[in-house]
Amino acid sequence: MKRKGGWGRVQDGLVVLAAIVVLLPIVWIALAAFKTSVDVFELKLFFTPTLQNFATIFEPPYLIHQKLLNSAIVSICVVLISIPLATCAAYSFSRFRMRGERAMLVTILATQFVPAVVIVLPFFLMFRSLGMLDTRPALILVDTAIVMPFAVWMIKGFVDGIPLETEEAALVDGSTRLQVLRRVVLPMAAPGIITAAIFAFIISWNEFLFALILTRRDAVTLPVGLQLFNGQEGMQWHLLSAAGLLIMAPMIVLALLVQKHFVQGMTMGAVR
Amino acid sequence: MDTVAGATTTARTAAILAVPPRRFVRLPDLRDNQVKYLLVLPAMLVVAATAIWPLAYSLLLSFRSWRLARSPVPGPFIGGTNYEQAFTTSEFWLSVGNSALFVLLSVAATTALALGLALLLVRGGLLRRSVQSLLILPFAMSPALVGISWRFLFNPEFGLFAAMFGTLIPPLAGINWLSTPALAFSALLMADVWAWTPFMTLILIGGLASLPQDTIEAAQIDGSPAWRILFGIIIPQLRPVLVVVIILKTIFALKQFDVIFMLTQGGPGHATQTLVYYAYLNGFKYYDMGYAAAVSWLMVVPMLGLTFLYIKFVFRRAA
Repeated sequence: MKRKGGWGRVQDGLVVLAAIVVLLPIVWIALAAFKTSVDVFELKLFFTPTLQNFATIFEPPYLIHQKLLNSAIVSICVVLISIPLATCAAYSFSRFRMRGERAMLVTILATQFVPAVVIVLPFFLMFRSLGMLDTRPALILVDTAIVMPFAVWMIKGFVDGIPLETEEAALVDGSTRLQVLRRVVLPMAAPGIITAAIFAFIISWNEFLFALILTRRDAVTLPVGLQLFNGQEGMQWHLLSAAGLLIMAPMIVLALLVQKHFVQGMTMGAVR
Repeated sequence: MDTVAGATTTARTAAILAVPPRRFVRLPDLRDNQVKYLLVLPAMLVVAATAIWPLAYSLLLSFRSWRLARSPVPGPFIGGTNYEQAFTTSEFWLSVGNSALFVLLSVAATTALALGLALLLVRGGLLRRSVQSLLILPFAMSPALVGISWRFLFNPEFGLFAAMFGTLIPPLAGINWLSTPALAFSALLMADVWAWTPFMTLILIGGLASLPQDTIEAAQIDGSPAWRILFGIIIPQLRPVLVVVIILKTIFALKQFDVIFMLTQGGPGHATQTLVYYAYLNGFKYYDMGYAAAVSWLMVVPMLGLTFLYIKFVFRRAA
């Protein structure tokens, strides 16, 4: 019994260690965001914090607000396009039998697993010949591709969980299917749809490869903008950390909001 | 339904939610028959336009010669020359080897660590539940940011991790991780494992929590050693979830690009150059579109195999 008590304490210790390992890189970057250009080049835990970095990254040549605006516009548009389409599809997949239903669901799922390099190559060539490289619409279109499968499968999972009775009652009362979808299903599935929207937002906000290849200057998003801090005097780690904090802080808040559905969303329904 | 006492309603609701939905097969409504396809159509069009078309286009491109730097239009069809070139280029095989090693090590490390952590956390309690809610944080971090942060952390002069490893393992003190092939590979591996283990842990906690407790408890009362309970009872029962974790992690490890780009750029030399990175270099650095498409497709084939496996498990579990 005594040994068990000791083992229990070792386990607690391991749990705390795991928490430290998860937090350490994030905290270290967050701290560096408040360090001066001198302090950041030393291993200091205690230092006089400064907010100067957050001012500097908004000045030339960094102009981080342009990247912030691009990221926000692209992510919002991706959500506004993908979520309504995904909701309609998810409802249909959940409630009806269709010819080729399984093939369609599998195709949607499978596209998620294709390496992004394969997808981006034809798009790069197409946007290049259309003169659409370095524009937001190009990025929005391609980002929608990676968000769609998550959204369809997640919302389908939520709609599957809504009992049919109310829908049937409304149908018997003479409502059309689309009225039922709007007045009955949408309100009931709202939490799920909002969760999927947050997921879609986080995924497109953090997306890197498409933005790296399809943008150059005008449509650059935040993750790609991180490269700006690799200047002639080497990496500006204090500025980079400030921008990094700017990228991750809102996503951390959003991720905490959806954490209950995180696993289901990321495995696309394979694990509930 | 009316007789359900208030206290058990939650359990009942949970039970209802667990049952797969009934479908409107008994309402063969003509309008529904059109509506259902109409509702799916836009989403399927997006998927076709953003995934199936590029895949088909890449496949076609992989049989052509097209050096973008020399010509703005695609060159002639050259049969399997691009594929032949890949198979006879040592850099291609080097990248295949790096990808294989990276996948193997990252899947093994992530799965083992995630299982250990899940076993530690599944018991619940305040400490464990708070730690569990921290596990979402790496997901909120853009992989590009993870990559560049780890470059900071492994800086030989002021990198936190470089200093910590230097203190713990004296031979590593003062060494430049990212310019030493094996260490750069290790740093990349650590960044990837750091980013993915929490997610896999959350999946496994869900799996562990749904295991029937009676056999485990019986074995504990019998005085079976912990390792025997783990390998004899827990792991066999957890197999379906473990398979999902392993397949997903394999796919994500094969696809890993952002962290490599930001942390090592495939270097030093070709030490961390995986197949994805090799395809990227050929497409967007050397602008050899046909060859890049061929390399990409050589990656798509095993990926489709894995996806097929994954789908088999998803649908078996749903059925």
